[in-house]
Amino acid sequence: MTAPRALQLGLRRTGLGVKSTFNGFKSRIAQRRVASTQTTSESAAADNILVKQRLARPVSPHLGIYQANIAMYGSAFNRITGSILSGAFYIFGFAYLAAPTIGWHIETPSMVAAVGSWPIWAKIATKFSVAFPFLFHSLNGVRHLVWDTGRGFATKTTARSGWVVVAASVVGSAILTSV
Amino acid sequence: MATSRALSRLALRRAAAPTSVFTRTFATVSPSRPVVPESQTSTAKEPSPEKDARIKTFHIYRWNPDEPTSKPKMQSYTLDLNKTGPMMLDALIRIKNELDPTLTFRRSCREGICGSCAMNIDGVNTLACLCRIPTETTQESRVYPLPHMYVVKDLVPDLTNFYKQYRSIKPYLQRDTPPPDGRENRQSKAERRKLDGLYECILCACCSTSCPSYWWNQEEYLGPAVLLQSYRWIADSRDEKTQERQDALNNSMSLYRCHTILNCSRVCPKGLNPGLAIAEIKKSMAFT
Amino acid sequence: MATLARPMALRQALRALPKPSHVAFRPCSTLIQRPLQQHFVKQALQNTTKAVGFHATIQRSILPPEPQTVLGTVNDPAPVPTPSPTHGNYHWSFERLISAGLIPLTIAPFVGGSLNPTLDAVFCATMLVHSHIGFQAILIDYIPIKRMPGVRKFFMWLLNAATVVVGIGLYEFETNDVGVTEAIKKLWHA
Repeated sequence: MTAPRALQLGLRRTGLGVKSTFNGFKSRIAQRRVASTQTTSESAAADNILVKQRLARPVSPHLGIYQANIAMYGSAFNRITGSILSGAFYIFGFAYLAAPTIGWHIETPSMVAAVGSWPIWAKIATKFSVAFPFLFHSLNGVRHLVWDTGRGFATKTTARSGWVVVAASVVGSAILTSV
Repeated sequence: MATSRALSRLALRRAAAPTSVFTRTFATVSPSRPVVPESQTSTAKEPSPEKDARIKTFHIYRWNPDEPTSKPKMQSYTLDLNKTGPMMLDALIRIKNELDPTLTFRRSCREGICGSCAMNIDGVNTLACLCRIPTETTQESRVYPLPHMYVVKDLVPDLTNFYKQYRSIKPYLQRDTPPPDGRENRQSKAERRKLDGLYECILCACCSTSCPSYWWNQEEYLGPAVLLQSYRWIADSRDEKTQERQDALNNSMSLYRCHTILNCSRVCPKGLNPGLAIAEIKKSMAFT
Repeated sequence: MATLARPMALRQALRALPKPSHVAFRPCSTLIQRPLQQHFVKQALQNTTKAVGFHATIQRSILPPEPQTVLGTVNDPAPVPTPSPTHGNYHWSFERLISAGLIPLTIAPFVGGSLNPTLDAVFCATMLVHSHIGFQAILIDYIPIKRMPGVRKFFMWLLNAATVVVGIGLYEFETNDVGVTEAIKKLWHA
């Protein structure tokens, strides 16, 4: 629509317009529009208003209103479980290095002896709370590695694999706790 | 201004078709409503309130830049779904036309091709024109602007940064060598097929604003939509600046803030898969 | 306010209507004015809107978003960072190799009881690197470098130092004790 009109205008301006009946009909429709253009930098006053308005703008709500879904919460949980495991790993590394100077005994035999004296519910709770993050992070990690090969990206597949990971880590950690 | 235009259109429509003053052509109209004969149209009255009215409440995010110190608030409107079109955009337009002309939102094509009416409806980013109003009237609908964006007014987010990022990936064909036949840059069918699922993107920003990584690092991370567009040019067999395009993404922020959360692929109103496109970029850059 | 404005808008709209070409339609457009007006006023009164304060957001009081500023004009492209493969694709590939390498190292103790000292040390080192990269990603994601470069730098160095210290601790553990997999196995059956 616009391209023929621009051509038409161009032809008319250069005086090359062919005077056929068809063209005459067209040129009657074609209007000359003198567009008043103005760059934003020219109007400094208008720009200032805009800059001032931008400073007052709120940020729209995000995490609080976004629908809970397995994709987002699975990913967040992956990071949380990873942090728990790695945090524990780091704390243990620190503690083992600091133990001789502080006087703790966290070499394996004494730890095994300490854990052995715990009541059964404490053992089960501790085992489960270690096994679940471990399994979730591991299985979800495998899911991520599969994604990195460019597979399993259909929305239905991602949702299903997410729930499979959740279910498998619950079942798996129950099994691991019982052994 | 927009109100008067919409109203004049409404008035025009009624003027042009006097027989159908009371019959709306919306899809959800109940077929039992009698058609008023032409002779009675001179005494046009509002039809008596429907007994089986389906009243639904809409909570809509409001913020007015003319009162910059005031906080954003949620405003509630009630509509009879029998008199409203089937889509969320119909409801918004009806609210603006008949209840509150100050309600502000972007819309244009009403058929999911322009991407103007992207917003967060009931917690999910989508195009209002492609989103059916959930018919359970007990469930109240909530409409927000696209998440974690600066709000210009009500449901209108500021997309300046988004467009600037789009511009930064040079979304156009870059070639130095002229086509071999001197006429056009040819592509095989297989090469063309690689662009399917990429070229359809309308840049509505639904995916980018659903991405938590984009929420936290909007300035530096490009976001799913722009990365999908970038891949559209990386995958194009006619483009000769593939290496430059990849180099532009090769830093810790632009591309690699994607942690495959995949909110993007869930929300795309055009059914595209930005998550897959990003994975393909990562793959193509993995061992180069 | 809206109720007042609307009939006026309507009147303007009707005035702005182009003169209909068919005379037969003209009376209709004037006739329609009053009922429509009444209709809108009634509607607006019926559907009284109520506004409530906005509570649905979690306030990010730790790091509230900054006021909006736009660099350059709206038509300038966003700046493109200089390529740095060590933070880009090499980093990504390395991260994947480490993660993929952890899979057999994690499965092996479940199959074979526990790892031999060499494999155990490899497992430990891989886990340490994997953790380090993970913590790094968290810092990059949640501490914006442009906004708080000092804090980011501090935490990055803190992480580096922590990783080195933990590495030494684990070396001690590996050389003086039974090894990670064996220790976990013993603790599990304690």
